[in-house]
Amino acid sequence: MGGLRRFRVAGRSMLPTLEPGQEVLLDPRAYRKVRPRKGEIVVALHPARPGVRMIKRIAGKTADGDVLLHGDNPLESTDSRLLGPVRENQILGKVVATFR
Amino acid sequence: MLNKLIQAVRALRPAPEVAAHCDGPCGVYDPADARIKAEAVLSMTKKILALEPPTGSDPASLATYHNTVSRYVSIKEEQAHGTKQDLLVLWTDFFKPQHLEQFPDLHTVFWNAAKLCSKCKVEVNLGAAEELMAACKKVHEMFWQAKGRDVTYYTAS
Repeated sequence: MGGLRRFRVAGRSMLPTLEPGQEVLLDPRAYRKVRPRKGEIVVALHPARPGVRMIKRIAGKTADGDVLLHGDNPLESTDSRLLGPVRENQILGKVVATFR
Repeated sequence: MLNKLIQAVRALRPAPEVAAHCDGPCGVYDPADARIKAEAVLSMTKKILALEPPTGSDPASLATYHNTVSRYVSIKEEQAHGTKQDLLVLWTDFFKPQHLEQFPDLHTVFWNAAKLCSKCKVEVNLGAAEELMAACKKVHEMFWQAKGRDVTYYTAS
């Protein structure tokens, strides 16, 4: 359990998977030996808003190996036009547990 | 028991936030972007059509005339292309597959509007510019209806 970090979800873009106010546990070392994979929920630094950590699901990868992040809520999530591809090194870790 | 422990920890040490925000904080959509540019297209089209060529062969008057025509045409092209870009952003980014149930003609509306942008860009066509404005009004109505808000359509000119 050592090294896991707690975060609290703010916003509705990960509904119905994650509700606003819900907490998650992040494993910052999850990607030391394996690469991030499509479908995993991660916390990453926002490419356009310094200091903002966002929680999103990996929707795919670009030809350059950058990851595409999307919210689970198709009606409300920030989309890829706004976000753009995110470099793998901007990913802070993988969400390994969620609790209310 | 575990839940109580979790509650206690949460109360004692609040976790830092991670953002799962919606469109609002990062990018704001508004069909007014497209409408304002379409108004510029209509205005430039009218100005080009109203422009009188100089009667004599005075070089200064000719230069002024050509300069003015070039500027009007340049702005018309630029704004027509911008209108198309704004419309495409709404079409492909704001509107989601779910909206097709609400607006079965969504694709047709946007496709025709985008084609009108091209027509206005290529030609000096008052009718097309007016149709483009009508298309922007239609997009305005769909957009705000999709958001469940009653926003009155208006134009700047």
